[in-house]
Amino acid sequence: MKHNTRRHKTSVGYKIVLGAIYMFILAPQIIIVLVSVNAGQYLTFPPQGFSIKWFVEFAHSEVFLTTMRRSFILAACATTVSVALGIISAYSVVRFGGRFRKQLRLFMLSPRLFPAVITGVALLIFYYRVIGWGTTSYWGLLFAHVLVSFPYVFLAVSSQLYNFDLALEEAARTLGANKLRTLVKVTLPLNKAGIISGAVFAFVVSYTELPMTMLLAGRNLTTLPMQLYDYIRWSFDPTGAAVGIVNIFLALVAVWITEKLVGLETLRW
Amino acid sequence: MLGLKKKDRLVEQILASRRVVFRCFCRYALILPVAVFIVVFLVIPYANMVVTSLRPFLSAGRIGHGLTLANYQKALADPYYLKVLGTTVLCGLITTATCLLLGYPIAHHLAQRETKHKGILYAIVLSPLLVGAVVRCYGWMLLLADNGLINSFLQYIGLGKAKLMYNFFGVLVGLVHIYLPFMVLSLIGPIQSVDPTWRSAARTLGASGKRVFWRITFPLSIPGIISGSVLVFLLTVSSYIGPILLGGYSVMVTPMLIVQTILSGVNYPLGAALSFVLVGCIAIAVILIFRATDKLLKGVDIYEA
Repeated sequence: MKHNTRRHKTSVGYKIVLGAIYMFILAPQIIIVLVSVNAGQYLTFPPQGFSIKWFVEFAHSEVFLTTMRRSFILAACATTVSVALGIISAYSVVRFGGRFRKQLRLFMLSPRLFPAVITGVALLIFYYRVIGWGTTSYWGLLFAHVLVSFPYVFLAVSSQLYNFDLALEEAARTLGANKLRTLVKVTLPLNKAGIISGAVFAFVVSYTELPMTMLLAGRNLTTLPMQLYDYIRWSFDPTGAAVGIVNIFLALVAVWITEKLVGLETLRW
Repeated sequence: MLGLKKKDRLVEQILASRRVVFRCFCRYALILPVAVFIVVFLVIPYANMVVTSLRPFLSAGRIGHGLTLANYQKALADPYYLKVLGTTVLCGLITTATCLLLGYPIAHHLAQRETKHKGILYAIVLSPLLVGAVVRCYGWMLLLADNGLINSFLQYIGLGKAKLMYNFFGVLVGLVHIYLPFMVLSLIGPIQSVDPTWRSAARTLGASGKRVFWRITFPLSIPGIISGSVLVFLLTVSSYIGPILLGGYSVMVTPMLIVQTILSGVNYPLGAALSFVLVGCIAIAVILIFRATDKLLKGVDIYEA
């Protein structure tokens, strides 16, 4: 009995510590939400009241709208290519990897294992001195985004394929479907969840990518994170918070979709 | 007769091996587009950067021919660059240790089977990862600035202002926050895979909860601690958005120096050399971590069984 009460006490302290750490993780996101609906120029204590004027400001800001549109299009293109590459690589590594499976997996994840800044520098020098693209090429930026986002599709799809019941494919083959038909009609639809959650992750990664983009995108290709980065370095204007809300919303959608489709617990690296 | 048979067998073998090669080719044809993509946009750029780092620098944007080690000499001998490198490594070490300290309880909590609302808690840990570094740093700026929420609260209760941002402390807060999810994700798996029967066996033998944790769960999760620490260290020493936004150029780290050298100085050879010095530092740190933990693991007799 005595032993039990002691255990209970320590668990309360543990819970407080845990709560504090979870609060630490949530703090900046909460503050962004609070600042965006606060009436004052600064969020002070006590707050100055509720207002949506920063969202109105954001809706009238030509720069933010243009860069946001550009970021959305770039992320959509990068996701499309990433999904194609991710499915191909996951399928071939899981099915045909053989004894090189581990090495191939590492190879596919290698774009994420190198520091983004240094990869950015390497690509910048490569674009300038070897290909001659410079920082004005949309293709250069797009491929850089694909490079860092397709490993997420690979991760999601391959983790599903590992647990895929091969008997289903064999059944389709026995019923007369050829390899391609089996892939399109059976394997891919049954691994839809992995593909979708990988795609959502790839989209968000591309949409928020900054360290490489800053090196590779010239003035004509400013993305939303770049614009926001420039903006908040010189002013604490809450319009930035209203823009950040979109990011928080996207992150929540991505997490929600992943949780619904494959479960967040499958995310490992 | 015998010779002919041998020849036949040889021909057969060659044909068979060709068939194998063809089958292999068909299989790897699928992987080819991805492999080409990674080679063109990752392997070749890095190889090109190695060459660039060995070229002499003429003037902004211009690179000479021939090979030289002058860039590495500058990157490794210049006291300012070394000081920056020292700050970077120190920053990485403190951030990694803090992430471990804060991440372990969270990972331990999420790894427990009886934890409630796991989905929401996972979402709390993971969603910041997807919000993007800029927005998260902005959140911290709004909290830590001179007229931010914390300082205005401190003034409200009459404690005056504290300098929380544009210094080393601000950078550390930002970095710990950005890389904490990576640590948690690396730790959950290894903690979860600790066989629960070992814990219950220890409890049956009379060990207290604390003792079970320190003698069973913790030592067995060391592989996760290593991989998480390596990952967080690698990410921290190569980050520059957090340090710029929350340090405001008062804390200079090597990635900032690299970007400055490349974008402002247009000195590609030196930028490339600095990048590889940073990569070298990461490699040394990773090797040291593995060496240290190897020794540590030898002391844990569970691993010998």
